Amino acid sequence: MPYTITEKCNGCAACARICPSGAISGEKKKRHAINGYLCIECGACGRVCPQSALLDAGGSGCEMLKRSEWLKPELVMEACMACSICVDACPVGCLALSDVPRDKGVDAYPYLKDAKACIGCGFCSQECPADALIMQKPVKKEKAVAAG
Amino acid sequence: MNKPYMGKILMVDLSNQALTEETIPDPVYQQYLSGMGLGAYVLYNRMPADADPLGPENILGFCSGFLTGTGSLFSGRWTLVGKSPLTGCWGDANCGGTFSPAIKRCGYDAVFFKGISSSPVYLHVKNGKTTLRDASDLWGHDAIETEEMLKKRHGSKAAVAVIGTSGEKVSLISGVVSDKGRIAARSGLGAVMGVKKLKAVVLEGVQRIGAHDPAAMKRLSRHCNKWVNFPMPLKLLPGKGMALVGTFLRVSPALFPQDGLLYKTILREWGTGGMNQMSIEMGDSPLKNWDGSNRDFPLAKSKKIDPDLIKDTEIVKYHCYSCPLGCGGICATKGKYAHTHKPEYESILALSGLCMNEDLDSVFYLNEILNRAGMDTISAGATAAFAIECYEKGILTKKDTDGLDLKWGNTEAMVALIKKMISREGIGDLLADGVKVAAQKIGKGSIEFAIQAGGQEPAMHDGRNDPGFNVHYSLEPSPGRHTLGAHLYYEMFQLWKRLKDLPKPSLLFTKGSKYKIDEEKAKVAAACSKFMSLSNGAGMCMFGLFLGSKKIPTFDWLNAASGWKLTPEDYMLIGERIQTLKQAFNIKHGIEPKNNFISSRALGTVPQQEGANKGRSVDIEKLAPGYWEQFGWDKNTGKPKQETLRKLDIK
Repeated sequence: MPYTITEKCNGCAACARICPSGAISGEKKKRHAINGYLCIECGACGRVCPQSALLDAGGSGCEMLKRSEWLKPELVMEACMACSICVDACPVGCLALSDVPRDKGVDAYPYLKDAKACIGCGFCSQECPADALIMQKPVKKEKAVAAG
Repeated sequence: MNKPYMGKILMVDLSNQALTEETIPDPVYQQYLSGMGLGAYVLYNRMPADADPLGPENILGFCSGFLTGTGSLFSGRWTLVGKSPLTGCWGDANCGGTFSPAIKRCGYDAVFFKGISSSPVYLHVKNGKTTLRDASDLWGHDAIETEEMLKKRHGSKAAVAVIGTSGEKVSLISGVVSDKGRIAARSGLGAVMGVKKLKAVVLEGVQRIGAHDPAAMKRLSRHCNKWVNFPMPLKLLPGKGMALVGTFLRVSPALFPQDGLLYKTILREWGTGGMNQMSIEMGDSPLKNWDGSNRDFPLAKSKKIDPDLIKDTEIVKYHCYSCPLGCGGICATKGKYAHTHKPEYESILALSGLCMNEDLDSVFYLNEILNRAGMDTISAGATAAFAIECYEKGILTKKDTDGLDLKWGNTEAMVALIKKMISREGIGDLLADGVKVAAQKIGKGSIEFAIQAGGQEPAMHDGRNDPGFNVHYSLEPSPGRHTLGAHLYYEMFQLWKRLKDLPKPSLLFTKGSKYKIDEEKAKVAAACSKFMSLSNGAGMCMFGLFLGSKKIPTFDWLNAASGWKLTPEDYMLIGERIQTLKQAFNIKHGIEPKNNFISSRALGTVPQQEGANKGRSVDIEKLAPGYWEQFGWDKNTGKPKQETLRKLDIK
C-alpha cells in the first residue's frame, strides 16, 4: 500500500519537491496525488507536510517533524562488510563510499556524504544484511563538543 | 513488495522507437528464475530461427538476478544475453558492479532491445519514464568517457552500461562496460549493441526490491559473511609464495579436493591475480598460444607478474554490489590514466604469458585501453598470441603486420598490434573479430593454432590440466567459457553436501584419475552446468559460490527470498531447464553441437612433450555422449530429446 494524500492538502507542493521517486504530482494550491506504482513508502512526504495531510501505508496519519529531528544513519564500523548495499538502497544518493580508505584494510566504507539530502527513510539500515547502519537522532553540535 | 522479482520487463524496438512494458507471469520465474533464465526464455520464444546476430531480429537483453537486492550476498551480477555474432550460438556475458540492482530499481527484471536504430541513441529510465535519447555526441567516445559524460548529465547515482569504440566498430570480440571498466565481455555482444546503434543504457530507479522473509535473508547472509571472514593461514604467504603452491601442485603425484576457503583468501588478499604465478606453475594457465608450458615461462619470468606487485598499486578495494569479499580494486597506474581497475587474472595471463610478454606496465596499460574500448581482454590477448604465432611461422610477414616485428615477448609490437585492433586499422582490422574469423581470412593452415571453441577464444585455464575445462569449453551452449564448470569448481562448490545423489570426491586421488572417462565425470560436469545456470538466473557470483554449498546458502536464500519451499534438487531442475533451453536455442538456430569442440591443440590431441601437462590429452569425442545423456539430450548429436523438452515444459 502506498502513501495517500487527504483533503487536508493545500497544494504547497513540499511533498512533491522532496519525493525521491517522482511519485507526487498536482497543481499548485490544489490537492496533490501519489502515484501508487512509483511510491516507495519512504515517508519523506509525511515528515514535511505542514497540513498533516499524508496517510502512511497502514492508513495512519503522518506528523510533520523538524528536519533536525529526522533520524540519520550511523555506521557501526566493526559490523560493516563494505558490500555497498546501503549506498544502492539510498533513494537520494546521500551515502557514498569513502575514496580514501579508513582504518580497516583498504576497503571503502560508506559514510553520510550529504547529510542535508538525507530524508531519514532508513532504507540503508533496513537493507544492510549486517545491521551496520543504525538510524539515530543526530547529536546536537554543542552536545557533541561537550562530549569531547 | 515481498516478491524478489519485479514481474515486468521493458522491450525496446529500436527500429520504430517503441518502448513496451510487459508483465511476466509468475510461473516463468518459478521455472527459470530471472537473470540468464529469463533471458533464455525471452530469446528462445521470440527470436526467429534464422536471425542474423548482427541484424534487427537479434534481441539483446540486460537481465538482473533473481536474488539481486533481496538481502543476499554475492548476488549483484547482471547477465547480458543475445545471439552471439562470434559463435552464432546462444550468447551471454555477466558482470558485477552496480548495474544489476539498478535494473530492478527501475521496476524491471530485464530490459530487451530489438531492431536497429537509424542513428545513435541511448535509453534513459527514471521514475517510470522511459525515453530513447540522441547519442550522437557520445558516439566515438570510449566507454569511460561516455560514462562520465552521462553521469555529468544525469547525476552520479545513475547506473550506466555502455559500449566503447570497439562495439561501435562492430568488433566481434567486444563487450558492454559499466562502472568504469567492469565488462560483460564474452560472446561478442558489444558488437550487437554497436550494430543496433545503442550507445548506452542509463538507469535511475529507486524502486524497492522485495523478499518474502527479510529476517531470514539477513540471518543467512550473516552465516555466509562469517565464512568470508574465516581466518586462514595462507594470508601469511607473500605473493610469490603462491607460485610455490603451484609448483607443489605440479610435482605432487596425488591431489586432494580443494576447499574454496583457500581461494577466498587469495581473492581477498590479491584478487584473481593472486593466481598468476600459481596457475603457470601448476599448468592451469596456457602459455605461448597454448603451445608452451611452465618451462617457457618459469619463475624468473613469472615473477614480473608477482601478485604483490599488483597489490602494491592498489589504492582501494572494489566491491561489486552485495559483495563482502572485494576481489576487485582500483589501482594507480603510470602514464596517461591515473587510475584503472585492478587487472584480473584472465586479462593478465592473456596479455602476458599467452603472448610471452614479461612487461607488467604494458599489461596495466592494455587492460585499461581495452576496457575503454570495450574489447574483451581474453579474446584480444588470445588473438594477439595467434597473430604472433602466425608471424613467427612466416604466415604473416612484416608487410602484413604494417611493419610490426611480432615476435614472442616483443612488448612494443604487441601493444601496437592491440591498439590497431581497437582502431581496426591495417592488420588490426583483420584481427578485431577474434581468432577464428582471422584464421579464415589468413588461411594457410592457421586455423590449427587459432585456439577456439565454436569461435570463442577460451579463457586462461588449460583443459589439459583440468579436463573439466575442456568439457565445458566444448559442450556448453555458449562454447569456450570458463565460468560454468571444471573439476576444481566441483570440488569447491561442494554440492554433494546438499544433494545426496552427487558424488563426493576422494580425499586423495592420483592426477591420472582426472582423465579417466566414466559416468561420474559426466555427472560432475552436468552438476556444474546446472548449478551455474541456476546461479546465473539468481545473479550469483561464482567466486562466492566457491565457498561451498553449506557456507554460501544459495538454495536457502532462494527459498527465503521467494517464499517457495523447494529442495536443492528442485532448484537443480531449474538449472537443468535453463541449460536445456539454451541448448534448444542453439538447435533452433541450426547449430551442430559437435562443431563447437575446442581446438585440438587445447585438447592435447598431440600431447605436449614437456611441462606440467606433459603427455596429457582429453578425448572430447568420448566425453561428450556422457555429458549430453545427463541432460536427456541425444548422446550422438547433443540435441535435446522431445521427451526431455516435454518433461521440462519447453515448447
